[in-house]
Amino acid sequence: MLGFQVILNGLVLGCLYACIAAGFSLVWGVLNVINLMHGSFIVLGSYLAWGAYNTLGFGPWTTLLIAAPLFFTLGYAVQRGILNRVIAAPVLVTLTLTFGLDLMLNNAMLVAFKADYRRMILDPPLGTWSWGELVVPVDRVIAMLFALLLTLALYLILRRSRIGRAIVAVRLDREAARLMGVDVPSIYATAFGFGAAMAGCAGVLLAMIFPISPISSGTYLGKAFVVCVLGGLGSVPGAVVGGLFLGLVESLGALAFGPEHAVTLSFTLLIVFLIVRPHGLLGKRGFE
Amino acid sequence: MSLRFSRRPASRSLLASLCIWAGAAALGLGSFAASAQGVIRFGAPLPITGPLAPEALKQQQGYDLWAEQVNKAGGIKVGAKKMKVEIVYTDYQSNTPRAVQTAEKLVTQDKVDFLFSPFGSGAAKAASTVSEKYGMPTIAATASSSQVYDQGYKYLFGTFTPNDTLTTPLADIVKLKAAGVRKVAILARNDLFPLAIAQEMEKAAKERGMEVVFFEKYAINTLDHSAALSQIKSKAPHWIFATGYINDLVLIKKQMADQKMEAPVVTMIAGPAYQEFIDAAGKGAENITSAAWWHPSARYKGVDIFGTPANYAKLFREKYKSEPDYAQASASVSGVLFQIAIEKAGSLDKVKVRDELARMNLQTFWGPVKFGPTGQITSLEPPVFQIQNGKTVVVFPAAIKQGELKLGVK
Amino acid sequence: MAMMRALPGSFRIALLLLVLLAALPFFGSAYGMRLGTIACMYAIMAVSWNVIGGFAGYPSFATAAFFGSGAYCGGILLGKGWPILAALGAAGLLAFVSALLFGIVLLRLRGHYFAIASLAVAEVLRELTNAAADLTGGGMGLNIPLAVKGSGSVLGEASFFFWAMWALLMTAFVSVRLIQTSKLGFGLACIKQNESAADMIGVNATLYKSLAFAFSGVFVAMAGVLYAAWVHYIEPGDVFDVLFAVKPIVMALLGGVGSPAGAVLGAFAFLGIEELVWRNYLQIHSGVLGFLVVVLLLFLPNGLMSMSQALRARFAGKAAG
Repeated sequence: MLGFQVILNGLVLGCLYACIAAGFSLVWGVLNVINLMHGSFIVLGSYLAWGAYNTLGFGPWTTLLIAAPLFFTLGYAVQRGILNRVIAAPVLVTLTLTFGLDLMLNNAMLVAFKADYRRMILDPPLGTWSWGELVVPVDRVIAMLFALLLTLALYLILRRSRIGRAIVAVRLDREAARLMGVDVPSIYATAFGFGAAMAGCAGVLLAMIFPISPISSGTYLGKAFVVCVLGGLGSVPGAVVGGLFLGLVESLGALAFGPEHAVTLSFTLLIVFLIVRPHGLLGKRGFE
Repeated sequence: MSLRFSRRPASRSLLASLCIWAGAAALGLGSFAASAQGVIRFGAPLPITGPLAPEALKQQQGYDLWAEQVNKAGGIKVGAKKMKVEIVYTDYQSNTPRAVQTAEKLVTQDKVDFLFSPFGSGAAKAASTVSEKYGMPTIAATASSSQVYDQGYKYLFGTFTPNDTLTTPLADIVKLKAAGVRKVAILARNDLFPLAIAQEMEKAAKERGMEVVFFEKYAINTLDHSAALSQIKSKAPHWIFATGYINDLVLIKKQMADQKMEAPVVTMIAGPAYQEFIDAAGKGAENITSAAWWHPSARYKGVDIFGTPANYAKLFREKYKSEPDYAQASASVSGVLFQIAIEKAGSLDKVKVRDELARMNLQTFWGPVKFGPTGQITSLEPPVFQIQNGKTVVVFPAAIKQGELKLGVK
Repeated sequence: MAMMRALPGSFRIALLLLVLLAALPFFGSAYGMRLGTIACMYAIMAVSWNVIGGFAGYPSFATAAFFGSGAYCGGILLGKGWPILAALGAAGLLAFVSALLFGIVLLRLRGHYFAIASLAVAEVLRELTNAAADLTGGGMGLNIPLAVKGSGSVLGEASFFFWAMWALLMTAFVSVRLIQTSKLGFGLACIKQNESAADMIGVNATLYKSLAFAFSGVFVAMAGVLYAAWVHYIEPGDVFDVLFAVKPIVMALLGGVGSPAGAVLGAFAFLGIEELVWRNYLQIHSGVLGFLVVVLLLFLPNGLMSMSQALRARFAGKAAG
């Protein structure tokens, strides 16, 4: 029974991880940029949900509708205005640039919101569902469903829409896409916008579950890294598979070796995957 | 800042680095020579950024409230004249090496007269070497581990009694009021203070014939506790004891509710003393027990500027519109103790003030204050309290208790 | 060829500056010496990073891993009563050998993949250090006895560690400079340009890269030992801090990637900026620092690396013509 419960916990957690990582993976895969601001975007989304609930009474699902366009615009602007200037520069330059931007964003949040942990307490609480001995919290299930829905939406946009196909085309071969008349900078900005929107929406959903503070951003970023590598870069289904895999490994690992080793296990896995299977569980081999 | 590497990067950056160092030197001399006469300066290194940032807010509130009250009363009496106080804050970024550097900067560059320790046992211990080197009287407002004080240092004092003074009364009252409690599960954050207190708890439980059925640590950046909690649930313990900082404990409590975990006694350290914990945990906080070094309902009659805990709480509410907890009160009392020692010494002489601190034996709003030979306070009896109807209620010791221990945490 | 790639002028300036710096204990206060010691420590990291990041072109974030393991290795050995020189040697050797072995595997990765893997190594080591509480004290931290006998005086101890760190920096600086002009340096430059081509002209890429990785670790680990002895108390979170991986890179970018002299000067410049910003802005210093990093990178749209490459090409051209 304990085993089943832990597996269930792991699956639910895994969906949250998928949600954390999907946007990060997209940006890394398409732009070849590791966006170190991703964690701070998520926290900002959580604050948005927290504020909207406490001042306007909006539930997280309503806030999602605001967060998506808001964060898309933010991401688009950051890419167009700042990142695009160095997009062709070597890996270290873009990485250091987002590092600097993250220092600014995170510090701004610290000043604006204070470091205190906040929590969004839904009233009435959503409670839990149970089948016999097995229990699962409803807020996590909702967050999980929304996360899957959002990830599916992102997948469909990438597969079906014109702009999505352009993004995929740029990811596969930038030069060819450019020659075919794709406006590459605008595609980059759009992809970055989608990445930011996913981060913001993830933040809105996570506000139901985790305490909110600017200092959590690093933890989210760390998870995004691991999920991304496990699932394969730039692949949306890969993020889901990677997230589920990580959730399961952490939960079962904590059961088997004790909770203090769960983090070690996930990073060890990351190194092993990088070396043995760098293209992840799914997904094609990304940029070298 | 003219950092343009237009032609030769290396020599340009040489130029730039020389300019910056020269600038830093000039700035360093300029801003600190102007320290006004007739002001006593206290250095306070705080973790304003980084993971400990929430704690810095509390420390700062405590120091500020004390400084404001002292200055309102005209200042500290040094011999014949009264001197105002000023607190010099610096941010050590929640990073211990930086805390040591900061302490040395405050002493040698800012020329503060006295020093408060950085937050927590680890950083306080690391920075105490600086205090000792310069003979700088230092009060640690948030360091409880006795390893901080047993280095044979003369200039370090601390306002927290050792960790076992929290776990012993907890174990005693549970043993007394809840005889059925036999199985204890302990979940500890793998970090200096939370781990130390969990180990004390394990000892205290075993000494009282209880069985520790689960003892695990979780890593510092843990985002999910469900696996550990499911394991605890499967052992059906009577007493769940979790340690960590407020974010960990809020999350653990939420996940306990998610998993429909119930136990007669649930104890958490060190979050429930904070109003933020009660706000963030909501109804789930009900009946959680904890222990802390101070509680606003304690009935001490002090000779200090605040006098009683009730008066301290009143002044605190007026300034910050919230209830004080032990973290803020400890910061304030650190200032109070310096004030008393300076007034008794009648001068700012560091050795004299240090000696006055060492022989101090009096009542304050924080409780009776007397430091042991290592510099750690020995005179406090930390209260055990429980969250009842969204308020903290003292249940032990009998002298100041406001209610009875209730069993059952959902 | 190797000599032409270098910037002898800046090298001499840096060397002169370093020699002058050695006199700091005769003038500086204890705090000045603390800053000097930290500056030397970061310069060691930046100079060392150059071997793998600058010469070979692999964006390594392993500096934190080297530093942390060096600090813990040193801390544990000093606790067992080893003399500090022996602890330095042991930590350096350990870092060199393990970097050589790990390098064979890790350096198969390139670009972001290598960056992430090297970053993850530090995370794993930190958690392992946390878990091995019997040896390392785990989350409780590790106390390290005083390494220098008779270091009772404030200035005596401060100058001892300053000079020790300074001497290590000089060793690292000269060694890296020698690597740059050696056959190894030439091989690494080839690898940076085109790895498969390098293989074809007979450069053993795997060996060279691993050696570069090992050399980028050995001095950093030794700096970790000195650091542990200096501060007497270390915690896993402090010595495996991700900032130890990021800052040396920013410093190297600042000074010009691939130039040891640039790395030294970049380290000093960065710490100067950081100290200045930190002193003057209590609440927003990290934001201001971030802003400066962003502005610096944007001033040079193609990054400082391309700039230094272009410069090198021009110098090479001049020397040839």
